[in-house]
Amino acid sequence: MSDLQKLAASLAGRAQSSEEVEAFVTHEKSFNVKVYSGEVESLSSAEPRGAGVRVVSGGRVGFAYTTDLGEQSLDQLVGQARDNAAHSTPDEAVALAPAWAQAPPEVTGLVDDAHARVSSDDKVSFALELERATRSLDPRIRAVEEAVYSDSDAEIGLATSTGISGLYRRTDAWCYSMAIATEGDDTEIGFEFDLARGIAALDAEAVGRAAAERALGVLGAAKIPSGRMPVVFEPYVAGQFLGVLGSALVGEAVQKGRSLLAGRLGEQIAAPGLTMVDDGRREGAPGAAPWDAEGVPTGRTEVISKGVLTSFLYDTTSARREGRGSTGNAARGSFKSAPHPSPSNLAIDSTGESRSEVLERAGRALLVEDFHGVHSGANPVTGDFSVGATGRLLEGGTPAQAVKEVTIAAPMLEILKGIEAVASDLRWLPFGGSYGGATTLVAEMTVAGS
Amino acid sequence: MLDETLIRRTLTEALARGGDLAELFVERRSSTALRLDDSRVEDVASGREAGAGVRVISGERASYAYTNLLTEQGLSEAAQAARAGLSGAEGTVAADLRRSVGPTHPVKHAPEEVGAAAKAEALSRANEAARSQGAAVRQVSASYADVQQHILIASSDGRIAEDDRTRVRFAVQVVAARNGEIATGFEAPGHSGGFELLSVHDPADLGERAARKALRMLEARPSPAGEFPVVLAPGSGGVLIHEACGHGLEADTLVKDASVYANRNGERFGSESVTIVDDGSDQGAWGSFGVDDEGIPAQRTVLFDKGVLVGHMSDLLSAAKIGHPPTGNGRRQSYAHLPIVRMTNTYLLPGPDAPEGIFSSVERGVYAATFAGGEVNPATGNFVFGMAEAYMIENGEVTYPIKGANLIGNGPRVLEVIEAVGSDFDRKEGVCGKDGQAAPVTNGMPTVLLGKVTVGGTEA
Repeated sequence: MSDLQKLAASLAGRAQSSEEVEAFVTHEKSFNVKVYSGEVESLSSAEPRGAGVRVVSGGRVGFAYTTDLGEQSLDQLVGQARDNAAHSTPDEAVALAPAWAQAPPEVTGLVDDAHARVSSDDKVSFALELERATRSLDPRIRAVEEAVYSDSDAEIGLATSTGISGLYRRTDAWCYSMAIATEGDDTEIGFEFDLARGIAALDAEAVGRAAAERALGVLGAAKIPSGRMPVVFEPYVAGQFLGVLGSALVGEAVQKGRSLLAGRLGEQIAAPGLTMVDDGRREGAPGAAPWDAEGVPTGRTEVISKGVLTSFLYDTTSARREGRGSTGNAARGSFKSAPHPSPSNLAIDSTGESRSEVLERAGRALLVEDFHGVHSGANPVTGDFSVGATGRLLEGGTPAQAVKEVTIAAPMLEILKGIEAVASDLRWLPFGGSYGGATTLVAEMTVAGS
Repeated sequence: MLDETLIRRTLTEALARGGDLAELFVERRSSTALRLDDSRVEDVASGREAGAGVRVISGERASYAYTNLLTEQGLSEAAQAARAGLSGAEGTVAADLRRSVGPTHPVKHAPEEVGAAAKAEALSRANEAARSQGAAVRQVSASYADVQQHILIASSDGRIAEDDRTRVRFAVQVVAARNGEIATGFEAPGHSGGFELLSVHDPADLGERAARKALRMLEARPSPAGEFPVVLAPGSGGVLIHEACGHGLEADTLVKDASVYANRNGERFGSESVTIVDDGSDQGAWGSFGVDDEGIPAQRTVLFDKGVLVGHMSDLLSAAKIGHPPTGNGRRQSYAHLPIVRMTNTYLLPGPDAPEGIFSSVERGVYAATFAGGEVNPATGNFVFGMAEAYMIENGEVTYPIKGANLIGNGPRVLEVIEAVGSDFDRKEGVCGKDGQAAPVTNGMPTVLLGKVTVGGTEA
């Protein structure tokens, strides 16, 4: 048993009779480098650790966390969570995850074995290369506002007095670049990112080039006349749309009347060809893990099946409220927060076409390359969706005039019903959970321009 | 917080391989947060954190390392990690550490001395008041959060400063539904101060106001799309100034020439009525502090004076590049983050126009009562804002609520189209995100008329 697992077990072991205790502990090694103009601008490294504890007693739950892992502090931590529980409202649905019948199978591919051997110098070189690749594509790239490489190597441990004890390790590496392109009076920004389990799977050249191309592509962009027209979401943009929709798929939001999908289980809510899956074990997806943030084994849930809403996503408490089992969808930001239900890896299945086939089918349409103001313009409670967009007008499926300063709007259910094609070019976007987007054709939305 | 010998030893260790400046940031933080949902107090949480970060600046490069261990060994390891990669001659730490002091923000009732029971009771009062507004109120969530933060900053050039910050925020969100329509209402005041926030903003009153907003928005019709005059409500409209003008005047974007406002000091952007300030010293305001997270006292900085660009906001590094004294805008989310340039409390100051007259001048337009938030691209100045509560204005009168409306445009051009600035004023508290760091900020403004801007909606 590792030190971290022992720490979790010792916290859970502080449970008194008639209460249950859960301990979530993490130990991480993180690294970040940001370069500017061919030089390192900032470099940061750390090894943070901490513990978060829930105490459940008589249907009441309290939470506390600390970064001080000394024995005395750990006693106080459990005591504080116990005191907090006394001020919550009793709810018979509240409970910790039940003990495992057997340990959940491991998820492969969470760790890049080479990660620990990559030197800081190599990481710095990667960031410099990312900036160079962004800047060197075209003389109109005036600067690279930020070129960043980050990684993390984390151990996550969880133990409960109900009998759960688990530990897993995950490595993550990600990078992004932000290009500034200028031509005459026109200045535009282009953003691109990539994420993987380790630095070797990141491609500095490709990310830099894509950031530059995105900025260059918007140069000379203009508004287009207002009207209704077909819209194509780029994969990155489709992922953001799923990010908003995902919070409406959470069972707790439905139970509390805070979801546009409340009362629609079994209804045809999307185009007949559309199937959407949440899979906490999906290989290659950033949110994959053997068990969720309260220790429930992760699994696969079909939420939309051929256009019909078939299931919501649950943690233990929201599942008990409906007398069913958790779908393994508890998540937490860090040891500093109690678990809450959230999608894990949510994606729409491809309808089988390639990207070029989807574009061709779109004909004359707005290809959306970026949303602006999603967190304010999209509302998973009311279903309102009205956001700023940049992109290109497609003429006969071929990108033509660059478009900016327009907004696109449609009720979210209308967007879902209007999805005519989802290409096979899936990419993952971390956005609270992780969301898989692919080139997606929506039959019609309102475009507001000039 | 830490004795001076240990501070000095850590700074000396950090400069052992050269570097122009070493800085130590130490933080202790305790917080409580309670949340009521579905008429139950579901979350009661508290936390304690301690950590320290060491920054070594060498030329244009900042290296940073942080630790949760405030021991001699923990700090020494952080200092060594922060100087990694340097190989110069040992730097020196100033003989005297001079204290700098900023404005204070009084706390009447320290949150840690108020029991969790009183905090839970406030949530219940907001819930009951909201639900009493009508059967269409379907769901209420209310949250209370307090944070006590004590920080110490010491640097090798001889500066030392400490700051105690206490912040309290109370939020209510109401969901209303009728005949298949759903609408939301939101209130979330906060301040730098103690539990007395709830005497100024009565929880029951907040619950009632959020519920009334949601109920009004149930009647909303789809927003028109196109170009319209827009009246911005006092307070909430300030987010527009924050996004469209503020971010582009954060000096880190200026020195990278990544701002539309770069090299344009002295230029006129708006009428004589447009004066905009950032004021981290505004007593008791949500975005205020004594000293910033680099130890520079909070101050009031004029950004636009009577329509003319005159100022910017900076931290130590960007100030040095610009060749200007720092303005006290270096902020960090915690010891785990490097300081970056941030706004504090950003205000468009009251102007000469009567608010009623502003409405009566509009033949057909939109009244933006509450914004849901927004986003801006500092390099281009382009922005988008969603409206959470908006109405049509017809023949000078506010007629009916509209939904799904947002505002898009360009920062410098928005100042240009400010045609009237009201004599009233209000503030709204928010949390601003930048480079993955969150910071409490206030936006403030009077009633403002924008001549012609693009409104996005569902009705073409």
